[in-house]
Order: sequence, then C-alpha cells, then structure tokens
Amino acid sequence: MKHLTQAYRALANRHGLGAALFVAIAVTLWVVVFITLPQLSMLDYSFRFNLPADQIGTDADHYTLDNFHSFFFNSDGSLNTLDLVILGRTLLAAAIVTLIDVLICYPIAYILAHGAKGVAARLMVIGLILPYWINEILRAFAFRVLFGATGVVNTVGMQMGLWDVPVDFIRADVALYFGLSYAYILLMIFPMYNAIEALDHTQVEAARDMGAPLWRVHWRVVLPIAKPGIVSGATMVFMLTAGALAAPQILGGPSNLWFTQVIYQWFNESSNWPRGSAYAVVLLLTCISFVLLMMRVFKVSVGEIGK
Amino acid sequence: MPDTSPVSAPDRSVLLDHVSIRFGNFTAVDNANLKINSGEFFSFLGPSGCGKTTLLRCISGFSEPTEGRVLIGAKDMKGVGPNKRPTALIFQHLALFPLMSVADNIAFPLEVRGVGKKMRRKRAEDLLDMIALPGIGDKKVSELSGGQKQRVAIARALAVEPDILLLDEPLSALDLKLRQHMRTELRAIQQQVGVTFIYITHDQGEALTMSDRVAVMSKGVIEQVGAPDQIYNRPRSSFVASFVGENNALKGVVKSQSEDMAALETPMGTFEARVGGGRKYKPGDEALLFVRPEQLVPGQAENAFQATLSRQEFEGATNHVFARAGDTELRVSMVNAGLAGSVGSKGDTLSLGFAPMNATILPVGQIASEA
Amino acid sequence: MSRAVVFGGAYAIAFFSFLFGPLIIMVVTAFNSSKFPRVVPWECFTTGWFAELFGNQRLMDGLLNSVIIGVGVVALAVPIGLAGALALSELPSKLRATLYTVLILPILIPGVVLGISTIVLWGQISRGLGGAVQAGIYNGYFLTIVGQITFVSAYAMLVFIARLQRFDATQTEAALDLGATPGQAFRKILLPFMAPAIGSAAFITLLASFENYNTTVFTVLSESTFTTALASKVRHGTDPSLSALAVIIITITLVGALTNEAVQRRKEAELGGKASRSPLYANPVTRALTHPGVVFAILVAIVATVSYIGSKHDSSVCEAAILQDKLGRQAELRAEQKAKIEAQEAEQGITVPKPEGGFGGAFGGLGGAAPTPAAPKPEGGFGGAFGGIAPPAPSE
Repeated sequence: MKHLTQAYRALANRHGLGAALFVAIAVTLWVVVFITLPQLSMLDYSFRFNLPADQIGTDADHYTLDNFHSFFFNSDGSLNTLDLVILGRTLLAAAIVTLIDVLICYPIAYILAHGAKGVAARLMVIGLILPYWINEILRAFAFRVLFGATGVVNTVGMQMGLWDVPVDFIRADVALYFGLSYAYILLMIFPMYNAIEALDHTQVEAARDMGAPLWRVHWRVVLPIAKPGIVSGATMVFMLTAGALAAPQILGGPSNLWFTQVIYQWFNESSNWPRGSAYAVVLLLTCISFVLLMMRVFKVSVGEIGK
Repeated sequence: MPDTSPVSAPDRSVLLDHVSIRFGNFTAVDNANLKINSGEFFSFLGPSGCGKTTLLRCISGFSEPTEGRVLIGAKDMKGVGPNKRPTALIFQHLALFPLMSVADNIAFPLEVRGVGKKMRRKRAEDLLDMIALPGIGDKKVSELSGGQKQRVAIARALAVEPDILLLDEPLSALDLKLRQHMRTELRAIQQQVGVTFIYITHDQGEALTMSDRVAVMSKGVIEQVGAPDQIYNRPRSSFVASFVGENNALKGVVKSQSEDMAALETPMGTFEARVGGGRKYKPGDEALLFVRPEQLVPGQAENAFQATLSRQEFEGATNHVFARAGDTELRVSMVNAGLAGSVGSKGDTLSLGFAPMNATILPVGQIASEA
Repeated sequence: MSRAVVFGGAYAIAFFSFLFGPLIIMVVTAFNSSKFPRVVPWECFTTGWFAELFGNQRLMDGLLNSVIIGVGVVALAVPIGLAGALALSELPSKLRATLYTVLILPILIPGVVLGISTIVLWGQISRGLGGAVQAGIYNGYFLTIVGQITFVSAYAMLVFIARLQRFDATQTEAALDLGATPGQAFRKILLPFMAPAIGSAAFITLLASFENYNTTVFTVLSESTFTTALASKVRHGTDPSLSALAVIIITITLVGALTNEAVQRRKEAELGGKASRSPLYANPVTRALTHPGVVFAILVAIVATVSYIGSKHDSSVCEAAILQDKLGRQAELRAEQKAKIEAQEAEQGITVPKPEGGFGGAFGGLGGAAPTPAAPKPEGGFGGAFGGIAPPAPSE
C-alpha cells in the first residue's frame, strides 16, 4: 500500500537505509510467517482427514467438514453432548473465575490507587508482583499441597472439628477454582489500577463529604472511571482461564475436563491432528467472539494492554 | 563547506528566490524573496505562527520549498539534505545529547565525519576555550546551567565551521538578566567567527540590538527588511509600525500630499507627517498616522493637540502616560523627571505635539495586537 | 472514614494472606522430611529435598533446554520487537492502529492455539522440504523458539514503544543537521537511548520464554523444558523436592528484589542530590555497605552460607527414629489384630488368613524401602517422549 512505502521511505530518511530494511523485513516476517501462516495452516488442517502418511496427496485427501461436524454431533447423529458440555462448562467456569477475580481485585486496586501512600504502596506493588515470579506450575502445585488430603486446609478443618474425614477438594473442583482465581490476579489488578488512578481522589472525598454512603460513591463515581480497566482485566482473565492448561491438568478432578485438555488429548493420545486443529479453531473462534462481544458491549478498544 | 578559492573570501550568503512553502491549503511562507549577505547577523522577527520557524527549517534542509529556490553560497540547495548543507541549526530546546559528555557533544560533528579521537579532543578543547568554559569537557549535560548549555550548543554547531548558523529563538527559555548577557555574547561570537547568523525571534529587543538587518514577518509574508533603525523609524506597513516597538495609530483621511509629506485629517485635528513607503495618496484616501510614544512631547508646537490624562504606569526610568484624545487612548513615553517634576494627575489636560518628520502615514492594514 | 480505613486495611491483609499463604506453606513443606509435602504431621527438619531436586536428571536436562531456548528467543524477539516499535512510530494513525492490533494479537490468542498452529505449519513445511532440513526444523528447539517468538516479541515491542515515546525526536534532527547520515544518527543517538529498554526487554523476554507452558508443551515435541518437565513431575507424583524448588526461586526473587531496591534508592539519592546530605553516604563505611553491588554480594553470601550449613545437616538419624516409631506402631497394631482374630477364632473355631502388612495403606508400604516417587509414566506425546512419530496428517 502507498502508506507502507511512504512509511518505509520516512524510516529510511530518518534512521538510514539499514534500519529501514531491517524493520521492513522483521515486521513482515513477524506478521506473515509467525502470526498469520500458522493460523491459516491450522485452519487448513482442521478441514482435512486424519490420513496416514502414504495416503497424503491421493484422492482420499480432500477437504471435509467432518472434524467440525464431529464436534457438534456424534457418529450416530446425536448431539455430541460430551464435547459441547465440556466447552460450555469451561466457558462457564472461566466466567465464574473472572467474576471472582473482579470482586476480590477491585478493592485492592482501589486501595492501591487511592488509599496507600508512599512506602505502603510500593510494598503492596512488590507484594503483588512477587508471587508471580514463581512458575505457574509451582503455584498450581502449591494449591495441590494446600488442598490435598493431608493439606493444611483439611488438617485445620478437622482440628477445628468442621469435618471428620478429609474432604476431597480436588475432586470437588474447589482447588481448581481457587488455583485459577489466584493465577491471573496480577493481570486483573493492574488494568483496574491504571484506570482508577486517573480518578481525582478529591472527587471521592467530595462525594463522601456530601454524605453519600461508601457503596454509592463507588457505584456512581469510581466505577464509571474504572470500567475500561475492569473490562480489559476481565477480558484477559477470561481468555487466559478458558485457555489454561497447566492448572486444570494439575488441580482438576477427573470429572472436570477442561476444553484445552480435550484438545491436548486429540494431539497427544489420539494422534488425530486434524481433529485437534478443528477443536483449537473452535476455541480460537470462541475467544475472539468473546473479545469482540466485550468490546461491543462495553465500548472498549483494543489498545488497553498495560503490562 | 566554505568555498576554498584562494583569492576571494568564502561566500556565506543565503538567497531566498521567491520561496513559498505550503502544507496542503495552508501557506506558511508566501513568496519570500531576499538575500542575506555573507557574514551578516540577520534576524527574522515576527509573532508566533508567522512562518519564521518554517523558513528556518527550510533553509536548514528539513523541508523543501513548494515553490522557489534556496541558494546557499550561490549554490542551489534543492535535494540537498540537512546533513550535507553548510548550515548548523541551534534548536529552541538545544537538543544536546544527554547521554554524552560535553566534549563528546561538541566533537560529535567531527566524529561523524571520521575525524580521529585526538584531533576531536583538541578541537573540543579549543571550542570550550572560545566559549569561555574551559575544562568542563567531561561533565554531563545535565550538570550545566541554562547559559552554559546555550554556549555548548553553539560550540557544537561551530565545530565544523559551518557557513551559516541558524538560531531558533535560543534565548526564550532563559531569564531576563541571562538573556541580556547572552545577547552581547552571541553578537561577540558572531563577529569573532565571521559566520553568517540567521536568528529568529519574537522579541524585538533581541532583534534590534543584535542584528545587522531585520526582516519583519507576519502570516507568512515578509513585510519589511532593513537595518534596525530603518525598521523602527521608517516602517513601511502598519504591521511593522505597530509590531516593532510601541506606536500610536490615528485614523484619518488624507487631505493633501506633496512629495513625501502629507496632511491627514483626524477627529483631533489635521496633522502633517511623513509619508511611509513612498506611496502616493489622493485626497480622501483613508490612512493611519503612526507616532511613537517617545515622539509625543508635551508643549511641542507642531502638530499640537489636547488630551486628557487617564492613567500612568511608572516603570522606573520611563513613565508611561496614557492620555485620551477623542475616543483614542494615546500612549506617551516620558523620561522620568525624578523628584524635580511631575506630569500631572488623572483628568488633567495635556498639551501634546510631535515633529512631522517623526510620524509616519501608512495605509490602513493589519495592526499587531497587544500582548 | 476511619471505618473504611480499618476495613481496607483488614481486607488488604486478608488479600495478601491469600496471595502469600500457599507460597509460605509450600516453603515450609520443603523442609519436612515427610514423603508427601505437608506441614502436619511434622516429621523431621531436613534439607534433603534440595539434593533430590538437583539429582532429578529430567529436570536438570529441562533446565538446560530452557536456557538454550531462552537465549534463542531473546536473540530474536528483542530485535523483532524493536522493529515493530520503529515501524509503528512512522505509520499514519489508522494504519498504525491496525498494525498494533495485529502484533498484539498473539498475546491474546490462547497459548495452546499458538503451539498447535506452529507445529502444524512447520510440520507441513518440513515435510515438503524433506531431508536434513526437516530434522533441522522439525525439532523441539526450533519449533519452541518459533512458537514463543510469536507472542514474546510483542512484550519486547511494548517495552520499546514506551521508551521510544520518551525520545526527543529533535535529537535525531540535530544529529542530521550536524552532518551525521541517518544511519549514523540511528546508531549513535537512538540506539544508545534505547539501551536500557533493550536490557528490560531482554529480561522480560527471557522470563516469558522460561516459564511458558501452554505453547511450549506442544512445540517441544520429545524434548522438555524446565517448565514442561516440572509439570509432568507434578502430575505424576508430587514430592517436596518441588517445594524445594519453590524455596530456591523465592530466594532468588527476594535477592533480586532487594538488590533492585538498593539500586533504585541509590539512583534516587544520587539524582536528587540527597547523596551529599544523607549521613548514610557521608560515612564511607555505610556508603560502601549500601552500594547495590555490595548488597547483592552480602545477600549471595548469606544464601551461600545457609545453603552450605543446610547441606551439612543430616536428618537421617531423625528419620530413622521416625521409621522405627512407625514400624513399632505397625507391629503393635498387627499384634493387636492378631490377638483379636485369635480370640475370634477361639470363639468360632475358624482360621482366617492373616491380613497383609499395611493398614489401609496409611503407612505407605513401610517395612524397609521408602516409596520412591512413581517414575514418570512415558508421556504419549508432548512435553514427554514423543517417540519421533511424524504427525500423521495430510500435507498440502
């Protein structure tokens, strides 16, 4: 496009031919080879049969909707409730986790933006970031330890006489929910914090001064400003939770399969790459739809990643 | 780079040959046509937005004129980039390189031309001596004061002996005392080095005291070019008359004109004054009469009239007296008489007059607004 | 208002307890000699799990791979991110927004999708090219680097965009005006300005690459990175050596954070002129002590000393005692059981076969050998033994 050549020339004039060439090549490589082609390739795969190597390129190798069809319907024509339910449950769980995160992170984001001063604020920020230096695998493991049959929760509960036999938190998915809520707190807090920080604190004080109860102050004064931050944080947490793999693998009970685990199985255990690709496409489309939905409903744009 | 012919001195002139610079529908510079002489201290004076910065950047090579040519040292600069022109630009905020030491900053032009380290060091030291800041070569830019940074910027620009030095309102960020000091400094450096200085500013005090010649600009048009006293005493347009210094404008109708003197009829009386710009008026033409505050003398017989004193602003050496004549408020500058005399008080009648040669009649036109 | 403050403070405490609680517990379990990580019952204080950790070959191999891959990713993602930031700086606003969205997209796409799409594409390419190239492309290292670069470059780009925004463009103009070619201006003025950002970008990139799981678990084929080896270990048999790992990471993080704090404080003091006024800096001894390098050295020394002492600690006596204890109790119980059954037999005149040792498995198969953590089952695919099976799918 004309703008691209214009930009290239401007770049060359400003930073030299070497730099301009480097930028042009690197960005093209990035956009085409690393971002676009793999997705197209995966899409292509999802429409093919799972053929052994010798049948590739023969008549048997033509495009088909089988993989997608089998996601929705079983071979006998009935609804593939198994996979559909798994997807539905994954999305629902992700939504619940997102909601939990919004609720527990909002007060902290607010306190960080308006309550804490100086040293306290810095300490809080460090306190928030520190746990996330630990590998996500280890963090999930920590919850496994916590909620295991001999874990702290069970021990304390039994000591206090709340229950007699160790409760299997893992089977009940409690551990998973805790683990997932924990996992992405950082990504929820900082967009919220950035948004709330823009609010002039004197507005809150003025509202309180006028006699408004605290909940009302938040509802009418703080939340409207915080909204873009909340939406961006929620979007990221939802997407990451729906697409999470490690936590469900480590903390999930046998009854609760995560959709990503299903995809993993198609590749890993069944060696059915086309079908796995199709399911991956489904996951991708679901996530994209969700993001677009959020952007439309809450009128937020894409430029809100403030890491 | 300097013309190296052994006989003649280097040609450091700049010729703007009918230069116009347009951005889409907006004309930033309209038909600028003038020659800046070799070794001259030349200023462009005008309010912000008049196009002087655009013109400067065009001479530097950061943009090409939409029409016309720019010639430096009699060579057409079309297509020649800023790094190839024999010009050096001092930016408004200096643009010193914060990550380099003072010496490295000054030696940078030499560095990019491949000059060796020892030579660079030597040249940097020479330049530091020239700007009277010996020994600060190893300091970081952030450790310098405003005035010191100015001088370092100039030293850096002079490092490769450019033919033309362009300065973009360099003193605007400095405080008053420093500004006045730097005016003298800059003039001294220019005389010492012999480089052509092209200086842009909105401060007339600077332009008048430092320059050999001044070009007054307004809305992209060069209104008048001349020596400082010419600009001040013989303005050729209403804008120049009102922008440079303070001036009183009286509106009236020309009654008659003979040669370069004319009579203008105003509500306060008929006055005789010099005709500015060599124009010819017919009786009945509208015109403005400009008379400087310092030319209005109490008790002067010629062009005498009455005015009522409305207020005074005492500014130390000068007393600014405001008097009303008709519906015009006039500004009169009187030398402070000290404890010996007093002008009067509000409501008093003043008898004022002015010499005909010290007032100019100009066509009705743009008046520079206050502030 | 103070009620809100009290509530806020209490909430903050509760929140941070939630945040740090699991980690603290994990740290504690690292020193409990019990086979399964737990706090109670506390058996013996031991540092043995650290040795166990370093002895785990798969983890150590994974660590090496993570480093190799990390270096590769940093070497590529940082320049690509810089290119992205520069490209965005020169585009008109609408095109700029579009390109920005496209480049940020990989961060939003689920990691598994990135991993899958990477192996699918390069699987097809490598099969098309065949031969030696195939082996060169279709392996865990190449694929993981390629897969990770897709989104890690975006992180680097964000760092560069932030830094670039603070660049005063008139500096480039001044350089050009003074005679530099655009290339010289780029190398001598812009790049030095970007240098701190390059450092940050490299650091963030390395971290992101190291701890990535979702994408890596697909692209790493039959190899493993530290993170994938860790994950498979966790899934197949947990033992406190993982807690030991957590302790190590936490220690490194704390040392890093404290050193960083020292660096920030010192920078602040020097720039703000406090250095000359503070009594801490006046005294040459304390000034040297608060120097970041010294702080770092002191911290490292503390850690090294503690580790050394810890490694010398022998908990075997304590563990033997516990073992005796358990054996003793098991024998008692068995004797009791035996007596009960013999009493029953005597009543009813029947012989009942003696039960096997171990009651309800509560003692985990005691009687000698401690149960070794179950050997990780051979993975049927990614993050484990892929077995070099080529993807059985049609190419184009």
